[in-house]
Amino acid sequence: MMELFFKPKSVAVIGASGKPGKLGYVIVKNISDSDFSGDVYPVNPKSDEILGYKVYRSVTDIPGEVDLVVTALPTPKLTVATMEECAKKGVKAVIIESAGFAEMGGDGKVFQQQIVDIAKKNGIRVMGPNCSGIVSRDIVTSIYPMTKKVARGNVVLLGQSGLLAAGMASDIVENESLNISKVCSFGNKCDVNENDLLEYFGNEDDVDVISMYLETVSDGRNLTRIAKKVAAEKPVIFLSGGRTEAGARAAMSHTGSIASNAKIVEAAAKQTGMIMADDFTELKDFAKVFSTQPLPKGNRIAVITLAGSVGVNVSDLCASHGLELPKLTPETTEKLKDMFDTPVSNPVDLYFSVTKIGFTKTLETTFPDALRDPNIDAAVLILAGFEYTQEAVQKKIIQKIVQEVGKPVVICMIVGYNKYKNVIMDEMGKELPVFPSLISGVKALSKLCEFGIRRNKISA
Amino acid sequence: MTTAQILSSAREEKRTVLTEIEAKQILSEAGINCTATVLATSKEQAVSISDEIGYPVVLKISSVDITHKSDSGGVKVNLADKEAVEQAYDEIMKSCRAYAPEADIEGVAVQGMATVGTEIIMGMIKDVSFGPVVMFGLGGVLVEVLKDVSFRIVPIEKADAVDMTGEIQGKKLLEGYRGQDPADVPYLQEMLVKLSDFVNVTPEIEEIDMNPVFAYKDGAVVVDARIILSE
Repeated sequence: MMELFFKPKSVAVIGASGKPGKLGYVIVKNISDSDFSGDVYPVNPKSDEILGYKVYRSVTDIPGEVDLVVTALPTPKLTVATMEECAKKGVKAVIIESAGFAEMGGDGKVFQQQIVDIAKKNGIRVMGPNCSGIVSRDIVTSIYPMTKKVARGNVVLLGQSGLLAAGMASDIVENESLNISKVCSFGNKCDVNENDLLEYFGNEDDVDVISMYLETVSDGRNLTRIAKKVAAEKPVIFLSGGRTEAGARAAMSHTGSIASNAKIVEAAAKQTGMIMADDFTELKDFAKVFSTQPLPKGNRIAVITLAGSVGVNVSDLCASHGLELPKLTPETTEKLKDMFDTPVSNPVDLYFSVTKIGFTKTLETTFPDALRDPNIDAAVLILAGFEYTQEAVQKKIIQKIVQEVGKPVVICMIVGYNKYKNVIMDEMGKELPVFPSLISGVKALSKLCEFGIRRNKISA
Repeated sequence: MTTAQILSSAREEKRTVLTEIEAKQILSEAGINCTATVLATSKEQAVSISDEIGYPVVLKISSVDITHKSDSGGVKVNLADKEAVEQAYDEIMKSCRAYAPEADIEGVAVQGMATVGTEIIMGMIKDVSFGPVVMFGLGGVLVEVLKDVSFRIVPIEKADAVDMTGEIQGKKLLEGYRGQDPADVPYLQEMLVKLSDFVNVTPEIEEIDMNPVFAYKDGAVVVDARIILSE
């Protein structure tokens, strides 16, 4: 059923408009600009043609089959009427983008219930209302104009958030900062909810990472069951909004008085192996690390730096995030003895090596030798935004080493000139996880290690 | 009475709160070890039951209307002989009748005095979205003040129970602190799985408190229990 939303062969846009700037126009434009190759049917009683597509008076006037209907109508009443039409036409998937339903309370709630009733009676799946639907290479239903084609990546972002499908999606698409496959915003989730989508994307082979934002949990018991299955295969990053400590229940037991919604959601995440994010940036950052880096076998980290103090700080952060900094093996120490003025330790201070053979060469030889060490599972590399690092950045040395050694590396950049920092952040950041602070990099890596260790346990 | 009988008679009487005796019977049937607790409806019966269980004993008021047993003066512990039981019985009745004149009092629960062990709390609540959820924590002040507890969604597996006991801040106290006996942690984990298995197939239960549970070097026992049924 979910296929009809993400891979429809035909789509009708109700409330389509020929006036640029109108929501009904943006939706048609976004579909037109995507790689959607099926039939597009704008519906508007007062137009004949929109963006080259023939316009129909109503859904029932459309000659062919309609897989998916997208509506952005001004009133809930009109939306309910459209649902009736969709039922007549035999449509099985509808995205309702308009607001004014259950989130408003009162009549809005009644209208939403009417939609649910029509959907149930006629076997229609409904996404929304109050959502932006889908942003993907093959179809874009969002009301926010896309500037570029969406990547065919390996990450999906799901959420009860307009921000996700509008602001975040367009940021990611324009800046190519995340290898996105689909963004899906499902608003009030009167029917299609996180469980449907988690199950669907859990089974999609080209999806490697799922990032999800929820304000309410529709069916926690099922979420626990599904997430456990999906998270055993691929990382599910989870940001839970509206976490309150106050017990929402009038409990008679001691247990009930302690059990807050936040604690239960947190327990579900631990139990299923979902990775908790604390904000929207982490939702994206963690997905970046998971989608670009191989999984580590353990939590033993090499910290690679040119500045002792930074190494000290990163070591402390590693300790507080459950990561270890082991000594390198005697073999590595011996191999690298000419590159260090004192025997190599961890953090690995490259300063002497850089003065001897230069930065680029150091990154090409000394760094991978440390990363290859059997005591090491992953590395945090501190990179500065100065001219001396640019050659290595341009030559994509780190990308090559990650590929060749097969261990994950996160990059933290805390100093430099903006003109060089921007290159590292924007260009290198397309392919590697680059963080503007030490703590964000260490935290993201700790999540990757946690998942890697859990994965090893499951497969053992 | 079996669990099914207790649940159906509570339903008939339109009450959602079970007595401690009923709660312990249900938990025992689920394979969870509880202190022997028997209802006495008269002073003479209280004495004969105490003789049977062996002194010292504890007497607790048994009434569905009195939930705060200690506050009502309805609990007397460490009763060493017949005279102490008789005196305690009278005092409990007097104090509880004064505390709650309208209360329907069925008698007193007589139970063996459990040796004090590491104080544990276990429980269960039903969440609207997640369904039954089980809880584990260290009892007493640690749960009162620090809320040092862990939760999991039912049904749980052994591995989840292991995570639950390992997740609390005060887990060191389970290992035996300052010469105290360590708690039988695998036994506690087994109890959590039994609790989960039980509530998973008993949807009519809304909340369970086992507080305290005394954990020993070998095994553990539920000293006080409370079960609330769904409306």
